[in-house]
Amino acid sequence: MKHFDRELSLRELLSGISRDKLHKALTMLAGEEFRLSETSGALLFGNAQAPTGTRLPLQLDVEPLGYLESSESDENRLHATVALLELLMHATARYRMASDLHTEAVSADYEELQRRHADLQASEARYKALANELEERVQTQVKTIEDAQRQLYQAEKLASIGQLAAGVAHEINNPIGFIRSNLNTARDYVEKFKLLAEPARNGDAAGLSAAWRAADLDFVLEDFSGLLDESLSGADRVARIVADLKGFSNVDSAEEAMVDLNDNLRAVTNIVAGKLGEQVEMALDLQPLPRLLCLPGHLNQVFLNLLLNANQAISGAGKITVRSDVADHAIRIQVGDDGCGIPAEVLPRIFEPFFTTRDVGSGTGLGLTVCRDIVSAHGGRIEVDSEVGKGTVFSIHLPLP
Amino acid sequence: MAEYDEEQNRLTVKLVYYGPAQSGKTTNLMRLHDLLAPALKGEIMTLETQNDRTLFFDLLPLGFRAPSGLLVKLKLFTVPGQVAHDGTRKAVLSRTDGVVFVADSQKTQTINNGESFQNLAENAQRVGLDFDRLPLVVQFNKRDLPDILSEEEIRARWGTAPWPLRFSAALTGVGVLETFQELLRQVYRGLERQCGLGLQHGLGEAAFVDAASGGTETS
Repeated sequence: MKHFDRELSLRELLSGISRDKLHKALTMLAGEEFRLSETSGALLFGNAQAPTGTRLPLQLDVEPLGYLESSESDENRLHATVALLELLMHATARYRMASDLHTEAVSADYEELQRRHADLQASEARYKALANELEERVQTQVKTIEDAQRQLYQAEKLASIGQLAAGVAHEINNPIGFIRSNLNTARDYVEKFKLLAEPARNGDAAGLSAAWRAADLDFVLEDFSGLLDESLSGADRVARIVADLKGFSNVDSAEEAMVDLNDNLRAVTNIVAGKLGEQVEMALDLQPLPRLLCLPGHLNQVFLNLLLNANQAISGAGKITVRSDVADHAIRIQVGDDGCGIPAEVLPRIFEPFFTTRDVGSGTGLGLTVCRDIVSAHGGRIEVDSEVGKGTVFSIHLPLP
Repeated sequence: MAEYDEEQNRLTVKLVYYGPAQSGKTTNLMRLHDLLAPALKGEIMTLETQNDRTLFFDLLPLGFRAPSGLLVKLKLFTVPGQVAHDGTRKAVLSRTDGVVFVADSQKTQTINNGESFQNLAENAQRVGLDFDRLPLVVQFNKRDLPDILSEEEIRARWGTAPWPLRFSAALTGVGVLETFQELLRQVYRGLERQCGLGLQHGLGEAAFVDAASGGTETS
């Protein structure tokens, strides 16, 4: 780019105006015989050959830029011509410098703007990169949290199933115990019947009769059949418990099934029964329910958690009530107890993850969180109603399709 | 960097009067035009707006010949002081050989002085001048007005800076020549290095200052 303060040549200073008019004017002033040239000797106007006569410098600033040569004898006229040309040169220089400076300033401003624009783009790119990196980090963290949460959920399931196992063991131990005891008695009875073998083989009717009485076999016969009946019912109980347990064997499976939730409630209450406190009684009030497409294993865990909580709320004697019915186009299941109740200041927080009022190590603090999440996953909601000293009722609402 | 044209046997030196709006840069040039009597003195070229504010620049061309025959041309420019004309200021400042910073002594102008000086330093850097090595004279103008900072106050503030300090009243011409001559002395050192003004062209520092100001050099 040309700098505004560069040296301007005479040619430049006389450009931009009509050449013809200037030539005519010069001819009128300096006569036919004239020559206008730059200091380098380059001809601008007039004769190629220098006319003999006067030679005057044309000056801008402090040095001559060219010469006017003429054979015109009137020197005043020539000096006037030079003065006019210098005025013209000065005016053109002023205009040229101002416009060149303007161009220079504008283009400098433009370059400055472009530079700032480039800076902005660079900084935008940096921010984008940063945002992407943060996004990645957030996703990594979210994944870490989700993994940890999944592990905690798993731990919670194992914890409640651990409690369940203790209850189930008790439930199974009881019938196994009396079945074993009955079988021992049955073996004694068989020994007694062996005493009849000898007189029976010899046809000794009197001996047979004596032996019968001696072994009190009338009583044994009667007791034996009662004993077998009792053992059979015990075996049935064990079979039923095992069947109920199957409902929990698939707590992790996400397979949906059409079920009658009353069956699930019965199964879970059966399993929990052995785990209840000695003076805790459980009442079921189950109204007929339509079958529901759901994740039965998951809902079983909800019922189990609520029942175990209810049991823990009762110290000494108490009653747990399990109700089911249909209300407002939804299945409603309520688990209530007449235990200690939940203080009002704690109530809003009970579904929060890791919130627990129990001692460290005795609960994961996730039991109710898991319940809420499972119910939410079914499009339902879980509510709690509690009063200190009177008890607590949890209500689950599962919308029907 | 001065323009040294060996073919034309000509050295063109560019000097710029910088400073905040209406601190008296153009007045400095006007007074110099009156005061200086160098061998060659061109007409002052001014580009003002209707309010007497410099829009583009003012130019005072001066010249003289060194003993060697070298034509030394001095072009004295002013910049527009108004903040808005920064692009113009930068263009005028580029390729300068020396700067007079014309500050306004009035107490109310302290902040404007500071901002303008900061602007000078930034623009010098933007147009590729080494500000630390740029010949520079700081002139506190308008000493004839009331409500001005005292010389002691100014010296306390600027005394530790490396640039020579001059006081002036440009309207009456006081200090204008001294400022210009101080700048010439500063500029001379660079010119000596660049094209051997003294050694090759027989022009010593005192002679340079004397010739540029036309026999008014006193030192």
